[in-house]
Amino acid sequence: MQSKTLYSVGLDVGTTTTQMVISRLQVENRSSGFTVPQMVIGDREVVYESPVIFTPVENHLVDGKAIIAFMEAQYEAAGLQKAQIDTGAVIVTGETSRKENAHQVLSNLSGAAGSFVVATAGPDLESILAAKGAGATEFSRQSGQRILHIDIGGGTSNMALIENGQVVSTGCFNVGGRLLKLDESGKILYRSPVLEGLTSLKIGDSPTLQELTALAEMLCSALEMASGRKPETALLRQLETKESQKPWAVPEGALTVSFSGGVADCIEGEKDPFAYGDLGVLLGKAIRKSSLCASNYRIGSQTIRATVIGAGCHSTALSGSTVYRKNVNLPLKNLPVVHIPYEKCLDADFSEVVRAQLHRVDSANGVLYLEGLPQMDYALLTAVASGLGALPQEPLMICMERDFGKALGQKISLQYPHKPILCLDGLLFEGQSYLDVGSPVGPCYSVVMKTLVLQKNE
Amino acid sequence: MNKEELTQLISDLLQQMDGQPQVKGSEYKPRDPGPAPAPGDYADGDFVQDVSALDLRKLYMVEDPANGEKFRRLKEKTPARLGVGRAGPRYKTLSMLRFRADHAAAQDAVFSQVPEDYAQKHGFIPVQTKCRDKEEYLTRPDLGRCFDESNQAVIRKAVPNAPKVQLVVGDGLSSAAILANAADCLAAIRDGLKLKGIETGEVLFVRYCRVGAGDAIGDVTDCQVVCMLVGERPGLVTDQSMSAYITYKPHTGVSESSRTVVSNIHPQGTPAVEAGAYIAELLDTILKKQVSGVGLHLEG
Repeated sequence: MQSKTLYSVGLDVGTTTTQMVISRLQVENRSSGFTVPQMVIGDREVVYESPVIFTPVENHLVDGKAIIAFMEAQYEAAGLQKAQIDTGAVIVTGETSRKENAHQVLSNLSGAAGSFVVATAGPDLESILAAKGAGATEFSRQSGQRILHIDIGGGTSNMALIENGQVVSTGCFNVGGRLLKLDESGKILYRSPVLEGLTSLKIGDSPTLQELTALAEMLCSALEMASGRKPETALLRQLETKESQKPWAVPEGALTVSFSGGVADCIEGEKDPFAYGDLGVLLGKAIRKSSLCASNYRIGSQTIRATVIGAGCHSTALSGSTVYRKNVNLPLKNLPVVHIPYEKCLDADFSEVVRAQLHRVDSANGVLYLEGLPQMDYALLTAVASGLGALPQEPLMICMERDFGKALGQKISLQYPHKPILCLDGLLFEGQSYLDVGSPVGPCYSVVMKTLVLQKNE
Repeated sequence: MNKEELTQLISDLLQQMDGQPQVKGSEYKPRDPGPAPAPGDYADGDFVQDVSALDLRKLYMVEDPANGEKFRRLKEKTPARLGVGRAGPRYKTLSMLRFRADHAAAQDAVFSQVPEDYAQKHGFIPVQTKCRDKEEYLTRPDLGRCFDESNQAVIRKAVPNAPKVQLVVGDGLSSAAILANAADCLAAIRDGLKLKGIETGEVLFVRYCRVGAGDAIGDVTDCQVVCMLVGERPGLVTDQSMSAYITYKPHTGVSESSRTVVSNIHPQGTPAVEAGAYIAELLDTILKKQVSGVGLHLEG
């Protein structure tokens, strides 16, 4: 089996900036040819980087049309057709995800970017993608160090705690360089609602450098608290975003802090404090002087591009290489995933259990993720297959981590020959709650496991 | 010949053996946690009831490591005996005992027999190659590839019409592998073939079987493809690894390069049922393309 190349696009629509990358993912068969195939994504290489533009916003709404035009121009500059794009992700991040039309824009964009490009959002996923895109997970994997990665953008700071290369927890705080915008004369043009009650500065004021520095230091102290470098006060939870699935657990013990995001470029070196007409440079300086940089710290291999590179290079995964699909058309997008303990398949009221689980996510059908599947012999496989096959859901979509996808799908198909079935293995769902299934890649499928959480404007 | 000479002879022979590949560490997938229990909390000098039950991949025994946790994580990816520590220039007692226990299990798998009633229990037709016993089987590979007149007659009677796919189970060099995997794998293969509309007849069970016995079965049955599940020569990683050898148009004298093999079928490698589903599809492809072995190119 020869190796195959996938073109993957990443588009990040952030609080401040919008950017796009196109990368090439090399799919290789790691098995020796004397065993079942084992496809993995080997090399990831960024082949095109767009310029960084300000996110087009009009009347407090994201200007989707302008972003689509930007995207089309990038495809042209990269010399690639949309039809050549195999996979990828559009992510709406930071304050932009709170805009009223974020949902609409997101789904329009993913459609316009290519038929296999998926829509993603949610601060937890954002944290993971930024940590991967900045090379922090790889650094942790190679060095064995425990890393706290902080991606500081315009509106939010995404935290990811990484142990041995794995992101173990994520969090998000309303700390960013563009919570305040100034005009050329130094007058405040915009003040993010998250600063309400935290500063007396308001729109139209002309703050002094000291006042702005004090604000930046306060925001920085929230990051210090989140890193366990400073005792926690009420400020920390006040600045925590509400979209995270779990509140951030302040890590204890030794760790190395790593930075990305636009503000990471302002941590080292000297810049005019008003270079960008916002808090970014001052926030970077405050971080440099704070406890975050008191010991060893690391600036990511990517800074402002970390999230978009994460979306372009690290959002796509491959299913196991022995899987089953029958009469199910691809791509499948935004499938809700429900966790089902495998032994429920053997119960008489199994279909009721599945219906109730799907009802909780407001859906009549979705992907059933079988949890706790043991090493199955043929007898157990047959029993599990009978339970699954009897479900009314069509198509029947199943996934699991253990390598049983093909055998299970085949067994169900034999008993229920008319049922459309998709049965994938090699997928581990932890926090993610949605699945996109893209094109077949040799014997397996490209998939994106994701969260999709967009907060309505408060 | 005394026992020691025989053991030496056999171990020499095992090393030169054609066909059956040894279980390779690099093909070992770490996805399965392996046999329970998982006593990563074993400490030097603890009493161990059964050294074989310890999961070596979770065990790191170097004293005062710089980063033991990191090494232990690396170890989870390989069955190789790394990070075992040492007592002066030698192995620790545990490593020594485990090594010998695994070696003994490998030898047992070669020397032990698949039970007499195995074929009957699973509805297979039992036949035997020209080897009269295990010792002859081990010392005369040539006899393990052919059948005498009476066994040929049994095969002819069991498989009267030339089938598309002839399924065969052979004990090979590991009875343990066959007992652990063959029936489950075969059930999944038959399911898969049924889905593709390929009927299979009686399954043959061959005692004292080498891969080449499939060629002789091809001669007798005139099947289009023979698919043989056979116990792999055991290594020190597992004694339960099974392979499937698939040959299009099998006949005596067919070249080894015309076989397609799926190896490493065991609980910590590819599970038997999943391998079965894969093999069924592979058989369908081989029938359609009318070729097996190095000439078979699968779409990547």
